[in-house]
Amino acid sequence: MAQKEYDTFILSDPALIPEDREMELIVRDLTPPDIRYKYRSAYVCAMISKSESKYPDRLWIRLGRGQLQEKPWSMKILKELNKFT
Amino acid sequence: MGNYTFYKDNREFIKALESYGELVTIQQEVDWDLEMGAIVRRVCEKRLAAPYFKKIKDYPGFEALGAPLATYTRLAIAMGLNPKTSIPEISDEYVRRTTGNPIPPVLVERKNAPCKDNILTGKDADLFKLPGPMVHDGDGGRYLATWHFVVAKDPDTGTINWGMYRQMVFDERTMVGPVLPFSDMGKMFYGKYVPKNKPMPFATVIGCDPLSGIAACAPSPIPEDQFTGMLMGKPVELVKCETCDLEVPAHAEIIIEGEVIPNVWIEEAPFGEYTGYRTSPREPRTVYRIKAITYRNHPILTVSNMGVPTDEGQLLRSFSLGLEMRKLLESQGIPITGVYMLPESTHHMVVVGVRPAYSNIATQIANLVFGSKLSPWFHMVIVVDEETDIYNKDDVIHALATKCHPIRGIRKYEHSVGTPLYPFADPDDRKWSRGAQVLFDCTFPLDWPKSDLPIKVSFNKVYPKEVQEKVLKNWKTYGFKD
Ligand SMILES: Cc1cc2nc3c(=O)[nH]c(=O)nc-3n(C[C@H](O)[C@H](O)[C@H](O)COP(=O)(O)O)c2cc1C
Ligand SMILES: [Mn+2]
Repeated sequence: MAQKEYDTFILSDPALIPEDREMELIVRDLTPPDIRYKYRSAYVCAMISKSESKYPDRLWIRLGRGQLQEKPWSMKILKELNKFT
Repeated sequence: MGNYTFYKDNREFIKALESYGELVTIQQEVDWDLEMGAIVRRVCEKRLAAPYFKKIKDYPGFEALGAPLATYTRLAIAMGLNPKTSIPEISDEYVRRTTGNPIPPVLVERKNAPCKDNILTGKDADLFKLPGPMVHDGDGGRYLATWHFVVAKDPDTGTINWGMYRQMVFDERTMVGPVLPFSDMGKMFYGKYVPKNKPMPFATVIGCDPLSGIAACAPSPIPEDQFTGMLMGKPVELVKCETCDLEVPAHAEIIIEGEVIPNVWIEEAPFGEYTGYRTSPREPRTVYRIKAITYRNHPILTVSNMGVPTDEGQLLRSFSLGLEMRKLLESQGIPITGVYMLPESTHHMVVVGVRPAYSNIATQIANLVFGSKLSPWFHMVIVVDEETDIYNKDDVIHALATKCHPIRGIRKYEHSVGTPLYPFADPDDRKWSRGAQVLFDCTFPLDWPKSDLPIKVSFNKVYPKEVQEKVLKNWKTYGFKD
């Protein structure tokens, strides 16, 4: 299977984001099997790294006004969180 | 009731636009992911005809209408007027229709309501079955609701509100958007439902007839369903919702029903906004959970693309904000000659023409409009005398640059209500909707001696009538073309 890709919005200084520990974030799915679901958002619990290759999924970074950063990070989703139950 | 030409749905309006050459039908498939948005954006920036998308990638059977009302020509058509009707004439007609008795809506049976052609409930009510566009690259999500309105009801008074509050798709069943605290729905939801921890039923109407859309983004105190009736000269036809005690326009293209959830927040934005920037922060905003989607066969989504001028938000909000100000000032007996808000200012700048009957009349005007419900949405008031044509940008700039004293003529207002959308505002002020406002008084003080009063040097002002007439009569024989 091709590598999965997601993106997320980082509202603070990306340099201050911790790596390699479980954290909660909102990600958007950029490569869903059914393309109609592109950009579906989800709260997930994940591990992230600023290295592009450490974890299986690619994570693109956008700043607060949508600015796409040049280099992607990587991520492993541990679980999707449901805010409504 | 009036006898006006109006279009009861989006489809009749599309036909009218086509007949007046205000429509480009695009048969070629377009991608909902940025391509459609880019086309609408270019159309707005170049003031072109509305694009009608017949084929949307991944969504067979769906169509879309872009920039439905982004020009005065399309506004005139929506009101059933000659497309060439001038701005002051459209304005007078709007004020005439919306002054007087409100016209309540009528209820029609489901069988006469095409918006019930298809009904999706339960797991089938999935927002990704609708071609919500990715409007601008870098937006926080797909915005399904860009030219639409949200129906809600006051739990105490039963008063209906239709308001245009943008909605971003979060997941299959969740939308999120800013409902500003001073908007009618904001006051209703945060003031009456949230304290009781009660969800508020809502219905989002997408692809409505043009006059309902105009009403929903107008800042009138009249409930918008009745205001629509005033614009139509006839009651607007509504039908009951599937899952709640609300009513929606029977001829609309797509209806999304559900509940606004109290005390839960989800991050929304950024989004390309009416100011022509992506300004307001991505932050926790109001959450809509959906229960049902109903739509016409071959539904036609309406798509607005906010950005640099001119889009329909800028045009219609300028139009209706300016004209509500006109009603307010006239109701107070201020001797104004007109009010015009410039769409090119993204409805930040309003020009008020006045007969300077007494000193400091400009301050009185500014105090009134800055003190009104309308005020969070604009911050510059230019007051000119009757010598200036308020509709003529060159004339207004000339007055501003020559008659407004840089100190005495400018009055600053601090601690105003603002919105998170003002690009000039400090990040913290955006967060708390804090604004500031300014008056530019372009009237000459009344106490100046007559002989010291500058005289405007223009063809119309400084030549005797006989000379003007002679020159005009001979213009072509002098060798000029026009
Ligand atoms: C395209 C468009 C999008 C808008 N989005 C929002 C929004 O997300 N939130 C908001 O509070 N107002 C928004 N507005 C402004 C309201 O529609 C406007 O204030 C309207 O008059 C609502 O009226 P009411 O709250 O007085 O009923 C938008 C306007 C337009 C034209
Ligand atoms: Mn309202």
